[in-house]
Amino acid sequence: MEKEKTLTPSELLTMAEDLRWQIGGNIHEHLVEGIYTDASRIADRVVTGERPKFDLDRAIDRLVTSRVWGIPIMILLFTLVFWITISGANIPSDFLASILIGKIYPAIKEIAFSIGTPWWLVGILIDGMYLSTAWVISVMLPPMAIFFPLFTLLEDFGYLPRVAFNLDNLFKKSGAHGKQALSMMMGFGCNAAGVIATRIIDSPRERLIAIITNNFALCNGRWPTMILLAVIFIGALVPAHLAGMISALAVVSVTLLGVLITFVMNWLLSRSILRGEASAFSLELPPYRPPRILQTIYTSLIDRTAYVLWRAVVFAMPAGAAIWLVANLTIGDLSLAEHIINLLNPVAVLIGLNGVILFAYMLAIPANEIVIPTVLMLTVLTAGVQGAGAGVLYELDSQAGTFELLTLGGWSLLTAVNTMLFTLAHNPCSTTIYTIYKETGSVKWTAIATLLPLGVGVGLTFGLTQVWRLVEAWL
Amino acid sequence: MVSVLTIPLIAIFVIVAILLLFRPNSGLFLRWRNVRRKAKQILLEDALKHLFHKENANGEPSIQSVSKALQLSEDKALLLVSIILDEDLAVWEGNKLRLTASGRLAALKTLRAHRLWERYLADKTGFSEDEWHARADRAEHILSASDADALSAQLSHPTYDPHGDPIPSASGEMAKLHAIPLTTADIHQSFEIVHLEDEPPAIYAQLVAAELYPGMKLEISERTQQQVRFWTNGDEHHLPTHVAGNIYVLPFPDKRTARDIPKLRLADLKPGQRGKVVALSPACRGLERRRMMDLGILPGTVIRAEFVSAGGDPVAYRIREALIALRQEQARLITIQPLEEKNDS
Repeated sequence: MEKEKTLTPSELLTMAEDLRWQIGGNIHEHLVEGIYTDASRIADRVVTGERPKFDLDRAIDRLVTSRVWGIPIMILLFTLVFWITISGANIPSDFLASILIGKIYPAIKEIAFSIGTPWWLVGILIDGMYLSTAWVISVMLPPMAIFFPLFTLLEDFGYLPRVAFNLDNLFKKSGAHGKQALSMMMGFGCNAAGVIATRIIDSPRERLIAIITNNFALCNGRWPTMILLAVIFIGALVPAHLAGMISALAVVSVTLLGVLITFVMNWLLSRSILRGEASAFSLELPPYRPPRILQTIYTSLIDRTAYVLWRAVVFAMPAGAAIWLVANLTIGDLSLAEHIINLLNPVAVLIGLNGVILFAYMLAIPANEIVIPTVLMLTVLTAGVQGAGAGVLYELDSQAGTFELLTLGGWSLLTAVNTMLFTLAHNPCSTTIYTIYKETGSVKWTAIATLLPLGVGVGLTFGLTQVWRLVEAWL
Repeated sequence: MVSVLTIPLIAIFVIVAILLLFRPNSGLFLRWRNVRRKAKQILLEDALKHLFHKENANGEPSIQSVSKALQLSEDKALLLVSIILDEDLAVWEGNKLRLTASGRLAALKTLRAHRLWERYLADKTGFSEDEWHARADRAEHILSASDADALSAQLSHPTYDPHGDPIPSASGEMAKLHAIPLTTADIHQSFEIVHLEDEPPAIYAQLVAAELYPGMKLEISERTQQQVRFWTNGDEHHLPTHVAGNIYVLPFPDKRTARDIPKLRLADLKPGQRGKVVALSPACRGLERRRMMDLGILPGTVIRAEFVSAGGDPVAYRIREALIALRQEQARLITIQPLEEKNDS
């Protein structure tokens, strides 16, 4: 056997170096080309069959992507989804509230007192932690349990990629990806789920844009605040028969403002800090499939609803304890909450809010659902009127009563409009912040996604307040 | 309330200011000192790079040329050159400065960092062509030799930068470019663009605007004192001589000339029409190119335009039995050869 000449490692490296220069820059391309050529040769030999004369997929595609019908069909479908969600969620929401807050809450409170638990422990555990968690669950769970499966059904059927396809031109102009339309839609349900939904965007730059701007999609935890304020402050401005329409119009306007801000931010981000991120567009339009209904409901409940709800509960419990504590710990003759509210007041006045609202937003970082109950509780605390008790979240049954209490707390029309704007644009809830961190793995992008909406909100309310006051003084 | 808050607020402000200034490792004071030190290092590396380029171009590197290239006063240039001489990085040879072996290695190290960084910007980021050079000019002084090695490994050891310049290896070896400027190339022969000079930026911007890239085939049709006319991929260009001189080419033996390569792009197909991919433009690079190849868009692939989106822009194409939407500007990067229409609808 002939002994081959062995190369020393250094000789081998030199040889490799030489070969590298000879091969040139696009060896990888030639490789890919070779692999595909082989694959298609094999496929040509073994795959037979002809395309059918009538292609149902193409027929559906022609309809849902047509210039005339594409957009109306989309609007119709999404309106339907939102309508089913909003009208369908009320009943289970009220049911959950009547059980968790109406029955279990007084019952466990009674049991706790009867076994001699000290009042402050009952306060922290039941008035604080239990009540805020119960609140979050009863407001949050039903709409999510309806919205997510509906959305997932549309996705499973194959319709959502067509929406991205239709809207891509619009998003492209702002430097974003058409699929952002879908993560935004998901954001109207829940921003944390919207942030997770950006996984479908496989281009790094556009995905970051979608994550950072997702909070401008008004999530379902903020809808109730919007609707309540629009009805009691803006609807009240016009004759009763117009009130419903005007307040609905106000809510829709603020929502559309959120969409507008999203586009403006997309444009700014893609031209400033995100300019250097790599970008590559691609969008596959999968074949239509009959949706697998049971499987879809199961997976969307487990993946989306359960995830978001669990996170919210984890964050809501300590927040409940904190809310109870700040309302009940006193320094001097004022509670801690009142001290903080007094401290925040000068800042809050500048942006046309008040210390109570600002502090409520800080306490409600874990869940936007508890903003209004917290505002009411704090207003009762500072105004010194009869409420449910210090640190106990509650809502009034009548809208007139809420209006009266808020006016007592110093609210004007300007305060209400500013609160609506601030509700649209402020830091995301803790669940969303946590999700952004999990998805980006970066403190920097998480900080930007948190502070950018807050900055926009402060800017909007500050601007409006100054203009409003100027106009008022001039009149 | 203001008076109660004023004192703690001022105290906090002062403490924060002191921390910012004198924080260990990252305080402003230390940073300022580092910047001063770094500035000297940058000048030194730039001077070595200049000597290297000048030597390769058979020029006469001198104190004057250093002062001119680095935009320094002659006094400062003298100081810089004396440091270089002290550290044995260069020696006088007559009235020319000549790099020593160690000076050459130092220059190649900077060059390696610069070209690797340009490759990185082109392949992994979204920055546009006209930003690469300036960004690499900053990065070349920051990347250490081991950073450069790591970057090279991450980019799977590229051999050329995106302008077609060879990247020196870690040991300082580098392929020689035999390319000739377009202004001296033969008329009516096929050439391949192998290198675009990226300095000065104003001229490079014109080359980018003309959509010229390394790897493109071209053929000169006419050359006068003032301008050069040539064909690339079915497009005719005419550029002033001083711009065309920054294009470097190598003969490319091909029976088809650049004029014959079809001009049709994927974006030109109407729904229902089919085409066979001829080439992917070199302008499609990095992540985007990778994605296209993953989708199977390669020379020889048959693609059929299916339907246009309601928004008018992305068009759905049938590529290897999958329905893929591509934007107009992407479809423009794919050169195709039209195929007979097959009546299947």
